Order: sequence, then C-alpha cells, then structure tokens
Amino acid sequence: MEELSELKRQVEKDQTTSSKHDAQKGKYMTFKSGHEYFGLEIQYVNEIIQLQTITAIPETEDYIKGLINLRGKVIPVIDVRLRFKQEPFEYNDRTCIIVINIKSMVVGLIIEKIAEVVEIKEENILPPPTLGRVDKAHHKYVYGIGKVGDEVKLLLDPDKLLNDEDLSVVEQANEMNNDEG
Amino acid sequence: MAEEFSTDGMLDIYLFENSQLLEQLQDMVLEQKDEECFDEDSINEIFRTMHTIKGSSGIMMFDEITTVAHKLEDVFYYLRESHPQNVPHLELVDHVLEVADFISNEMEKIQNGDPADGEVGEIVARLDVFLEKIKSNADAGEEKPPENKHEEPKQFYISPVATSASRFYKIYIHFFEGTEMANVHAYKAVYALKEIAEDLLYSPEDIISDPSSAETIIKEGFKILLQAQCGEEEIRQIIGVGYDIEKVDVFECKAEEFLQGFDFGEQDDAPVIDLDSSVEEIEAQTQGTEDGEKAEEKKPAKPAIAPGDFVIKSKDPGKQRKLAKDKPKSDKASYISVNIGKMDQLMELIGELVISESVVLQNPDLKVPGLNLDNFNKAAAQLSKIATDLQNVIMSMRMVPLTNTFQKMNRIVFDVSRKLGKDIDFVMVGEQTEVDRNIIEHISDPLMHIVRNSVDHGIESKEERVESGKPEKGKVTLSAKTEAGKVWICVEDDGAGLDRDKIIAKARKQGLLDDNKPDSEYTDKEVFQFITLPGFSTNEVVTEYSGRGVGMDVVVQNIQKIGGSLEIESEKGFGSIMSLKIPLTLAIIDGIVMEIGTSSFVIETGAIKEFVRVNEEMMIHEPDGEEYVMIRGECFPVLRLGEWFELNNYRESVEEGVMLILEVDEKKVCLFVDKLIGEQEIVVKPIPSYIKKVKGLSGCTQLGDGSIALILDAAGLIE
Repeated sequence: MEELSELKRQVEKDQTTSSKHDAQKGKYMTFKSGHEYFGLEIQYVNEIIQLQTITAIPETEDYIKGLINLRGKVIPVIDVRLRFKQEPFEYNDRTCIIVINIKSMVVGLIIEKIAEVVEIKEENILPPPTLGRVDKAHHKYVYGIGKVGDEVKLLLDPDKLLNDEDLSVVEQANEMNNDEG
Repeated sequence: MAEEFSTDGMLDIYLFENSQLLEQLQDMVLEQKDEECFDEDSINEIFRTMHTIKGSSGIMMFDEITTVAHKLEDVFYYLRESHPQNVPHLELVDHVLEVADFISNEMEKIQNGDPADGEVGEIVARLDVFLEKIKSNADAGEEKPPENKHEEPKQFYISPVATSASRFYKIYIHFFEGTEMANVHAYKAVYALKEIAEDLLYSPEDIISDPSSAETIIKEGFKILLQAQCGEEEIRQIIGVGYDIEKVDVFECKAEEFLQGFDFGEQDDAPVIDLDSSVEEIEAQTQGTEDGEKAEEKKPAKPAIAPGDFVIKSKDPGKQRKLAKDKPKSDKASYISVNIGKMDQLMELIGELVISESVVLQNPDLKVPGLNLDNFNKAAAQLSKIATDLQNVIMSMRMVPLTNTFQKMNRIVFDVSRKLGKDIDFVMVGEQTEVDRNIIEHISDPLMHIVRNSVDHGIESKEERVESGKPEKGKVTLSAKTEAGKVWICVEDDGAGLDRDKIIAKARKQGLLDDNKPDSEYTDKEVFQFITLPGFSTNEVVTEYSGRGVGMDVVVQNIQKIGGSLEIESEKGFGSIMSLKIPLTLAIIDGIVMEIGTSSFVIETGAIKEFVRVNEEMMIHEPDGEEYVMIRGECFPVLRLGEWFELNNYRESVEEGVMLILEVDEKKVCLFVDKLIGEQEIVVKPIPSYIKKVKGLSGCTQLGDGSIALILDAAGLIE
C-alpha cells in the first residue's frame, strides 16, 4: 500500500515539475553529507554560497543553526547533517550553503561538500526499497534513489526536509546502501 | 482599438478622488451636525461634491451612483437657490450621510471588482419625499428657482494648483483621417496631460458621451488649452505622435489667451492686453474676477465676451475658489498621490542604505593603524547627514495625521448615540498627531471598538444620568498625543465607569482569581485587565453595537501585534479612560547594541530606564536560584541573558558586565549583559517565519559589519 502511494506521489510530482521547468527537468544538484551523496532537484536551488557568519538563535532546534545575511536579506540556515541526526562536523572551507527556495520560503542548507549537477533520467529513479521495518516511518526526506553510472544519489524532498518531524535518515541510508551493495 | 484604452488607471483615480471627496463631505457634515442648519459655504460645497461625483460616475458609467448623487445635488440645489426656512437639519444630515454611505459602499464593491448593484430606488424616493417636504415648508410665495440645468462647461481631473512658474500652451492635435473613435483617442491625450496639468480645457468638450464629436475632432482637430509647469518638449512626449495622431502642434501662449478659452478663435490678431504684464499680475487680476464671481454663484450662462475681456469665460467658478477658501494662495501645498507599494519599496531601499552606510563607515579596513582618514571622515560625516535626512523625510512621508481615523470615530459616535437615544458631546483633541501609516491601519478597528463601548456601555441613559446628578448630555473625549516616542490615544467618557465588584464576581466565577486572596488585594489595574480576557463580558445584553463576540480581547491582541498596549482606568460612577499606547513607527527604531558572549543583541532605547554597574554585595541570591539586585534601595529581579538564551562564553560575574534596567508597563527587570557596544538606528526586520517564535525576541537587524543581531522584546523578557 505504502509503495503504491509513494509511486503515485512521485508520478504526480514529476508531472507538475515537467509542466513547469522543462529545461531544468531531470537535473539534480548533488552534495555529500556523511558518506552519502544526496540530490536536490535543481529548480529549488537558488544559489550556492560560501559559509558565512551565522547568528545563532536561542531556543530553537539544534539543526537550525541561525540566521545569515544574504545581501541584505535575512535567511535561516539549517545543518543538513544535524537534520539527518548524523554526527556534527567541523565547518571548513569546503563547507558551503545551498540556498533553496520552496514555496517562496528561502532557506540555506549547510552541507559538507558540494558535488556536481547531474542529470538523472526518470527510468533511473527508483522508489526507496521498503524491505523490513515497514512499521517505521520511512522515506520521509528521501523520495527516490537515482542511479548515475555506478553511483547512487539519494533524492531529497526539500519540502519534507524543512518541515517534517525528525527522522533518522542515516539508518535509512545505510539500509539502502546495503541493499544496493 | 477600443481595447487599447484601459480604464484601470481611470478607475483608480475615480475611486481615489471620490473617496477623498466623500471623506471631506462627511467631515463637513458632522462638523455642523449640531448647528441649526448648514451655512452657505457648506451647502455649496456639498452641492459641488455631489456634482463632481455625479460627473465622474457618469463618465465611468456607474448609473446608480450617478442617480443618487444627482438626487442629493437637486436637494442642495434647491437649498442653495431658495434658502428655504424650517429645514429639518438632522434629517438632512441623515440623508447626506446615507447617500455618502451608499456611494462608499458602491465604491468598495467596484474596488473589489464586484458590480456596483446597490438598490437606489429607496434612497431616491426618500430624497424625493424630503425635497417635497422642504419645498412645501418653504414660503409658498417664494419664487421658484430655475431648474438645475448643469450647463457649465465641464473640466475633468483638474488639480486646482497654479503657481507663477506656470506656462500656458495651445495644443492642436490632428488625427489621421479614418481614425475610429477619435474622441476616445482625444480623451487619452487629455488623460495623459492631466498628470502635468494645472488647468486644462479642451474642445470639443463633450468627447466622452458624444460619439459624434469624433467627426468634429477629425475634421477640425482637437484643441487643448493647457496650463502646466513643463516645457513644450515634455508635452510632445506625453502626447506623442503615434499610429493615430498625425500631428501635434504646441504653441506657448499668454495667460490671458488661456483664460479666454476657445472663444477667441484662431485668428492671429488675438487680443493681447498687455504683453509685459507678468503672470502674477494676471493671476492677481484673475483672482479679483473670481472673487467677484463668488457672490454671483454659478450663472446658467454668461454673455459672450468681447475679445480682450478678462472675464474667464470657460472656467467653472467652483474649482479655484474652493482652494482660495481653504487656504490663502501664498502657502499652497500641492499633493500627489503615490502608489503605496512604491513608498514601501523606497522605505526598504533607504533601510538598506542605512545599513550599507554603517557597513562602509565601520568597515574593518579602516581600522588599519596609521591611516590618515581626515578626508574620509569629512566625507563620511556628510554622507551620514544626508542618509539621516533622507530617512527622516521618508519617515515623515509615511506619517499620516490621525484626523481621518478620528473623523471615522466621530461618525460612529453620531450613529450609535442617535440609535441609542443618547445625547453625546464628542470632543476630539490632538487629531493632528501623526503616526506611521502602517500603524494607523491597525488601530482603526480597535479604536472603533473602544469608542463604541464608551458610547454604548460607558455613557448611561439620559434618565440615569439625571438621577445621578450628571448633565444630561454625556461626554466622550478622544485625544491623541505623542510622548516619549509613543503615541497615546485615549478614549475618555464621563459615564458609569467599570464596576469593580461585578468584574471580581465574574472573575471568581470563572476561576481567574486565587481563592485564598481576598478581593481587596487586587489592584484596580489588575481587576480591569480581566475585561480584556477572551470570553469575559459583564454585559448581559447583546446590543446592536457591542457584545457581538468581538471583544476587548481582540482589541488587545490587535494592539499588541503592533507593539502597543492598553491601559484602563476607571472610577465607578465617574467614567473611564481607555488609553492606547502605540509606537510611532515600526520600521526604524533607536536601539542599544550589546554583546553577550559572541552574540550581539539590540534592545529598543525607549525600554531602557538606565544602565548600572553593580557589585557582588548588591546581589541577593535566593536558594532556588532566583537572583535580585538592590539598587538605591529598590529591588529588581535579575535576568541573565546569557543563561536565559543558553549562549556561550558569557560573563558570569556581575562586576564584569552591565545591568540594564528595563521598564515595561511599570514592571521592571534588570537585564545582565556582557558589554554595551553603542546606540544606533536599527532597521527592524522580521525573523524568517521558518523559525518558530522565540519568547523575548521581536525581530532581527543587520549591524554595521554586516552581521545579524537579534532584537530583544522587552515586554517578552519581563513576562
């Protein structure tokens, strides 16, 4: 049942995207977080900037690192690794911020390393496997797995990334890695 | 072709102008509601307003508005011409207000894109009855005035301004033969010129409603007389030769030629009275003529004028005289209406400018030792001055007097008191007080509610008032003043006041009070605050005006949203005072920047009572961790911001940091911070909505070095 609805959702999503952004269709911005490579549909990505001074906001979730000043606009930034409940990492000069825009909400994602923009054909995107542990609320941020050559990219649903309740993606990713491997 | 002529801009202007007219009308009517009758000026004014509305509504083809305006115009035409006696004044006021309401309503519908479909039959019928009534009341022998025929030449969209810098032009526009609907094209040109025109006449006149004028225009060309301050080139640009216009001829001419209208024809030997007379002189003479005409009012038709005569043939005497009456010619202010979106954009840009200014002036590059910055500092001082001026100007542009809001309240008091049969003296004080436009929008509804409450619940019925020895006429005072960077708006009534016992009883019933605490221990202020809680109403009877669910809680919520507060004072039997305390502006505030650990924070300067350095002996530690500080015999609770927000590297010892005494609503708290950085103008930006609201923070701002500081919300901290 769950797989069915997942597929359905994905198809719907593809339809809406294809109607709007033909030129950007099928292109994904990929980045590394922990050991995995993740992909974000490029239509959501505004720009990639270097790490900036972040003003922390008290009393917020730990993955919300604070606010940055993007040319006079104040935007919140979140740490993707912390969001995935992975170990925190030291920020260095490879660390950058992907500024994404979802439903006119602009948010920066702090990621360890930016990779590349890849094109992933629809037929190379698989729904995430649901082996075992169906009881767990799986596949929240990751809505599909894209195959690029030998590599696998976990495709993120940015909306859920920002808004959904916490879920450990690490587990999920590890699982999938094992399946693929 | 017709599609090219968009009415959107016209519609906006129509709505804007008419809503202003209606507002003025309403103010005037209410001002004189207590008189015996309207004075002559007002009658003329109402007549003219209705006439203008009728005219423009006719053009825009809003028939209902036209009909109603026409009816009321008829009534006032009669009043003006016949000076009838025994006019029931209040009834007349009602009729005028009814018409004004109707038109406002219709205009609102139009604005929302709905059809203006209000039912006019009843109003018209009532006005007819009223007109008959005053006619029959008037002396029978009196000569009937001629029927109102509206013959005066029409002038549309003329801003009544004229200065000595004005120049006068004759413009001839020739359209290509075969241009369809040349009249509409001609109107397009007129409409475009209107932007710059101080006065404007055109021939043929009836281009909108008379399609046959198209032929005349094509045959004879379209003639425009224009008074404006611009050059010939500009006019040409505005009209612009296009696919429809073959040729545009612009001649500069003398004021006197202009004033003669089109009657001088096109002969070259046009009468020139005095080539050397300056425009001012001519204007002065013109004014004299106008004054002369003032007494005569509008004549159905004026005799033909000999060439060279100074009489302004084609000018409607109404327009300029109105201005002359309002204010002397010497200090005329001219206004333009500006799209509010553009104002906001400008405001935003200036905010950015203020920030970039501090980025430049506090640039770390300047801190390199050994730099000679004398010239830089001079230039920087100049820049700062200009930036500050610029900011002041834009702030003052956004400042709007409370007059309109107060007038609205006047209307409400009038309506409510009449319906309830209460006689109320409504006094307004300080309506000129200026407040940021954004804030006005937010206080109108809460204020309306409070005023209604005062009239409905506050003021007792006549009988009760007499019984308790008060004058029969109740008094409601609405006042506004600026004090300490805040605006205070007070609604004061001399009515029954709040019943403390009743409120306490109700609060007990709802379990709001501590059962162990006797009633007498609650201060009046605490007790009165209960009425601002949701679902708390001591009013058993729901009347038309109050008790309909929108309670004081909503009022307080709305006021708090803009950073204001409500204070209630009341004495049973003597009335109550409701005071709104509201910030002057929301966008830019004066703030103190401070540092705690590695983070910067800003707090509004107005919230800070004083800065104190304290030592360890002044501290009082309670076993449960609460801390107090004793300053000059007064004890304040201490809030360590570093601990509160769980920051890093903040200073522990009170002797190393600074205490800020904050005061909000007479509650005081001591805020402990590491160090102060300085005072600075702060452009308030909201915290992105993605981050949920944090108590004690009201926004964020950008500091001189480009970093972001969080703005502390003093009220939130004190809670």
